[in-house]
Amino acid sequence: MMGRPVRFGANRFLQVMLALYAAIWVVLAIRPVDRADWFLENLLVFTAVAVLSLTYRKFQFSNFSYLLLAIFLVLHAVGAHYTYAKVPAGFWLADMLHFERNHFDRLIHFAFGLLLAYPLREVLLRSAGAKVRWAPALAFIAIIAMSSFFEIIEAVIAQLVYPELGSAYLGTQGDIWDAQKDMIAAFFGAVVATALGPLLPRVATDASSR
Amino acid sequence: MKTAASKLKPKTVIAGLAVFCTLLWLLAAIHPLDRQAWALENILLVLFAITLVFSGSRLRLSNGAYICIALFVIVHIIGAHYTYARMPLGLWAEDQFGFSRNHFDRVAHFSFGFFLALPVHELLLRLSGLRRASSFWMTAALILALSSLFEIIESVVAEIVAPGVGVAWLGGQGDEWDAQNDMLCSFVGSLAMAMLVAVAEWKGKTE
Repeated sequence: MMGRPVRFGANRFLQVMLALYAAIWVVLAIRPVDRADWFLENLLVFTAVAVLSLTYRKFQFSNFSYLLLAIFLVLHAVGAHYTYAKVPAGFWLADMLHFERNHFDRLIHFAFGLLLAYPLREVLLRSAGAKVRWAPALAFIAIIAMSSFFEIIEAVIAQLVYPELGSAYLGTQGDIWDAQKDMIAAFFGAVVATALGPLLPRVATDASSR
Repeated sequence: MKTAASKLKPKTVIAGLAVFCTLLWLLAAIHPLDRQAWALENILLVLFAITLVFSGSRLRLSNGAYICIALFVIVHIIGAHYTYARMPLGLWAEDQFGFSRNHFDRVAHFSFGFFLALPVHELLLRLSGLRRASSFWMTAALILALSSLFEIIESVVAEIVAPGVGVAWLGGQGDEWDAQNDMLCSFVGSLAMAMLVAVAEWKGKTE
């Protein structure tokens, strides 16, 4: 089930997962806390889904990678519904552990590093020609780079579109080191994923799947 | 990089660059504007130089790559001497073009991406097994990752040395988005170099 890629028509696992994700996404698209923010957050989802479907014929991830990507997208859908700063689970966590802010967004940054390292490793090994020894390090670098790219995009949008709103729009919740902490969260996610790497299913490269 | 430099013996080029950078570094070490800031700025430079010396015998880069490294080091030596925010050229540009701040640190971040992309690209091609097209993206990613690690380390150091003052102490000069803008500069720098290398290779192929 988790092994090498299969055609979509024959991939029951992927079909069911996609249907489940679509259902969750639709439910969370109904009456989000803030529609404009929900839309902004979902630009990322539209981009990701478009890229994944358009490249599907050329490159299919393993089902394990699709599962990780789907888990991340579900977490993001929850965050987008509640505009991150207002996710109930985050408030609960803040109450329990006496945090000063809702840390659900940090959790998602961590999840980004944790869940995307494996799919990235798969692309690097199967499509980019990376050596097996180098793949985990390169995936790690790619995670950090993507995470900081995201922070840059956020900042550019904030400076161009909402100069008067500034960091409030980004949900920094008054933290001057918000960008750095977000990147640190992704960093630790990637560290854990890299450490767990040997326990995960082996990436079936073209050479080994034949 | 088929320039005049590649006809010189690598050892001559490396020795020449090393001597020049060392002399400039010594000169800049005399009376820097702020000794503490200068020392902080130089920690990474010294670590980088040590790494270069010890890896040099096993990992020989091209002359072009060493020239690029030296150019970045020169920019950083000058910036550290003036604690970046008081670099005269930046102050002049601030007056001349009405910038809100001394942008010399942004020049240095761009230089970091631009000049170090060449050695990074060479190393990736030689060691990682990445295909050529992927190696360009990975070069930009590696530069961006290094740049953000630098911003993270900076913020951690800032919280330890000057808690609360934070961004101002880092030479943000009132820029709320200092970290992101710094990273953007090095990212753009690395993409510019990647494009130059791609064009040079494409020209080399068609000639």
